[in-house]
Amino acid sequence: MPKEKEGSPAAMNRTAVERKSDRELVVTRTFDAPARIVFEAWSKPELFKRWWIPKSAGMSLVSCDMDIRTGGAYRLVFRHPAFDQPMTFFGTYREVTPHKRLVWTNEESDQGAVTTVTFEERAGKTLVTLHELYPTKAARDEAIAGSAEGLPEQFAQLDELLAGGE
Amino acid sequence: MTLTGMKKHVSVLEQAGLVTTEKVGRVRTCKLGLRRLEEEAAWIERHRQLWNARFDALDKIVEQLKRKEKADAQRKRR
Repeated sequence: MPKEKEGSPAAMNRTAVERKSDRELVVTRTFDAPARIVFEAWSKPELFKRWWIPKSAGMSLVSCDMDIRTGGAYRLVFRHPAFDQPMTFFGTYREVTPHKRLVWTNEESDQGAVTTVTFEERAGKTLVTLHELYPTKAARDEAIAGSAEGLPEQFAQLDELLAGGE
Repeated sequence: MTLTGMKKHVSVLEQAGLVTTEKVGRVRTCKLGLRRLEEEAAWIERHRQLWNARFDALDKIVEQLKRKEKADAQRKRR
């Protein structure tokens, strides 16, 4: 296969996902902007809440508190029409290095991953690498459950199960 | 490929749970763990869809920030 030119539209806009080991998930994507801009979109709550939940998930972000600094806490509250109760995701920022690295814990369950995001700038573009380390393989296999967007899918599955009556 | 090389390849696949092997006498029979492969592909695809949707939205915001920065810089120059 011919190697795509760096920075061509096809090489950009590509989200690669890899199961790096039994307990790891790695997602990469290149953005056509300097690292400080991409970092800004991750670290300012008013920007972050505009992209973290895809519209297709049918969820809304009720509140978004992010104390972005090493040792700071975050708390995201979501609502989904299928659920009476809101869902809360929370944890602590283990490391915040502006324009370079973010590390946070996911503490809503004891099976939560530690998420590391790195921002590598090259020729005005930024390679974002998101790495999730789960405590066990089972936790990683069920990982989509831990992320808010996986929930509607699970709700649909639950609906099916309940409708089946078996 | 040498037999030793082949054995190595198979053992990696076996460790990953993608094939199963059974040795009877001198013959080792390999079976594809098809189900595992399909599950693996489905898992990766679910995650890819989620992150792709997220990052497409992030891409738009990054573009907006970039345009705004450019416009601000031009305004300052004037």
